[in-house]
Amino acid sequence: MRKLSLILLLSFVLILVTACSDTEANGEGSSSDKIKLDMWVFGSTGYEKLADEYMKEHPNVEIKIQSTQFDDHHNALFTALSAGSGAPDIAMIEVNNIERFRQAQDRFHNLYDLGAEEVKDDYLDWKWRLGENADGTFLYGLPTDIGPTAMFYRVDVFKEAGLPTDPESVKKLIPDWDAYAEVARIIKEKTGKPIADNYELIYNALRDQAPVQYFNNEDELIIEKEPYIKAAYDYTVDLIQKGYVGDNGLWTPEWGAAMDKGSYATLLAPAWMQGVVKGNAPNSSGKWMITGMPGGAGNWGGSYLTIPKETKHPEEAYKFIQWLVAPEQQLKSFKEMGLFPSTPSIYNDPSFKDYSDDYFGGINTAQVFAQSAQMVQTVYMGKNYKVVQAEIVNALTNVSKKSADPEKEWKAAVKRIKRQLERQ
Amino acid sequence: MVPQSKAKALNMKYSIAKRLTEKQKTSIAGYLFISPFFLLFAVFGAFPMIFSFYLAFQKWNGFGEMTFVGFQNFNFIFIDPVFWKSIYNTVIIGLLGTVPQLIAALILAVILNSVLVKMKSFFRVAYFVPNVTSIVAVAIVFTVIFNEHQSGIVNATLGLFGLSPVNWQTSEWGVKIAIATMIFWRWVGYNSIIFLAGLQSIPKELYEAAEMDGAKKWQQFLFITVPMLKPIIIFVVFTATIGSLQIFAEPLIFSGSGFREESITIVLYLWREAFSNNAFGTASATAVSLFLLIIAFSVINVLMSNRLGKTGNIRG
Repeated sequence: MRKLSLILLLSFVLILVTACSDTEANGEGSSSDKIKLDMWVFGSTGYEKLADEYMKEHPNVEIKIQSTQFDDHHNALFTALSAGSGAPDIAMIEVNNIERFRQAQDRFHNLYDLGAEEVKDDYLDWKWRLGENADGTFLYGLPTDIGPTAMFYRVDVFKEAGLPTDPESVKKLIPDWDAYAEVARIIKEKTGKPIADNYELIYNALRDQAPVQYFNNEDELIIEKEPYIKAAYDYTVDLIQKGYVGDNGLWTPEWGAAMDKGSYATLLAPAWMQGVVKGNAPNSSGKWMITGMPGGAGNWGGSYLTIPKETKHPEEAYKFIQWLVAPEQQLKSFKEMGLFPSTPSIYNDPSFKDYSDDYFGGINTAQVFAQSAQMVQTVYMGKNYKVVQAEIVNALTNVSKKSADPEKEWKAAVKRIKRQLERQ
Repeated sequence: MVPQSKAKALNMKYSIAKRLTEKQKTSIAGYLFISPFFLLFAVFGAFPMIFSFYLAFQKWNGFGEMTFVGFQNFNFIFIDPVFWKSIYNTVIIGLLGTVPQLIAALILAVILNSVLVKMKSFFRVAYFVPNVTSIVAVAIVFTVIFNEHQSGIVNATLGLFGLSPVNWQTSEWGVKIAIATMIFWRWVGYNSIIFLAGLQSIPKELYEAAEMDGAKKWQQFLFITVPMLKPIIIFVVFTATIGSLQIFAEPLIFSGSGFREESITIVLYLWREAFSNNAFGTASATAVSLFLLIIAFSVINVLMSNRLGKTGNIRG
């Protein structure tokens, strides 16, 4: 009996082993006649539909798109690239996250080698630059959508404060940050409401308008040398201390609820925030409008399509992504999913020129964001961008919630940042 | 072709099997049966453990070359006040989360074990449910309950009693109490089920004898139940200690990825180093430090429970 069970077990193991090798061999065989491309994306891009369209035109290509949650997606990609196996043929990377992949340049195909130079002029210059390495010889990814920022404002709050309400006049009323602070004072006095619900967005808006941010091209921390970030911090602190800014954390339920209640006056946010506002404030149709931001514009969000080195079909993968983010397809993505295009030629398209959104008072929101898109500063963010951002926001939180001394908080934040940077 | 080779291989195996003694065959079969666990453990358990000891002495960003840096990583974290703060936070949250919880679990178990309670199996399941709930879901729900805003459930309740709202996510004690409450809710049922199992193994005669001698209910609890439960109590304290040293998901979701100093725990500190800052060297150094810390706590536990066993053994 025992002998029998031993034999059974051994043969079972043997069958397993041979079975495994069989399927592997088969897998190799069938993939040679059809090119399989695995693609990882996050969120809802609507790329599945476009991929179907592409596959119809190119029957020899099979594209499989896998969509995961934002953080999981980037962590999984990081792990796969670090391990050297398991990465897809095409991977989407968000603009802030691309910074942490900069040190992995050797794990990606240089898209300049695959012919990306040809399409460079189709895209916004600043967007293209963010997908390159510091000296512009290596291109990580082709641009997908962008997140140009503008100023959302509550018409009812402005009216209550006795201020003009149409986008043109509001833009004239608040051309720069001094005017923004002055309007904050008026709104606070007349209505008791804050100008913004969250200090982080004000700080981000100012940061985005700085000619340099946290690091120079050599990845050296420059926030102590250059005045811009400290100035953005000081300005935000000033508004916090005067009580002009609310303290609801981004993405909290209160923050969302306040959008509908109209408990604050402005929201400095990117194009994709339109969907967030509509979702959180279903009863506020016509109460939110959008105009240009004080002092210029910035960008928050948007992605790139990259091709990891592991792929067996770099040419085919490149052909597909070049098609996917070409102006014609970006226009489709804009119409169906609201992804804001990174190809300025679309901004003159009739569907862009005649666009209007009833929720935002029937104004042409697409045109507002197209204008901001062309004003965004080209800036180098640096691979440790997130470390610095998190610590500065912590400092601002302490100033807001604990009435901490802003100078001490700034120094403590810089100390924490430096301590983390020396470890990599 | 395939079946032929298989048959050949089978024959070969068969002849090997013939040559082995009965005892060898038994042990081979035994090893084969336990091998799946050991193979998986070697790959996913033992290797990463050993590798993190190696990594603790390297500088590595996850992609490039590793460079040997000696004890520099340990130096980095030991001079970092945030690291020490994370240990302090872990211990405080652990104490807040486990001490009241174990006492409550014991009381719950005694109530469940008493003859007065009806629908026992319903309560047993009900108590256990929090433990199998997704930890992420729990943390999100508690984030809503312990909201910083005045309209948050807990703050609104405090307001009814005329108390001022608490900054649950950013104040030193608020965040610790909120996280400890999450741990309490999640584990109190699990531990009371374990206590219940222990209670049911205590012979009924002891209680009958005590009753004859005129012992009151609380005396029975203190002088029979607690001493008889000693092994269970030691086990529960052990696992709770180790578990609370590894608190991670609750603070991560509760206070977001800003890694604020009020709520950062050791494992969260480790995670920040590795997966937010790409500093795998210091992350591994933190892991090694945590390993040593757990050993230290376990030794203290063992010593204390040994002592308990000597002095408190009423029956013996």
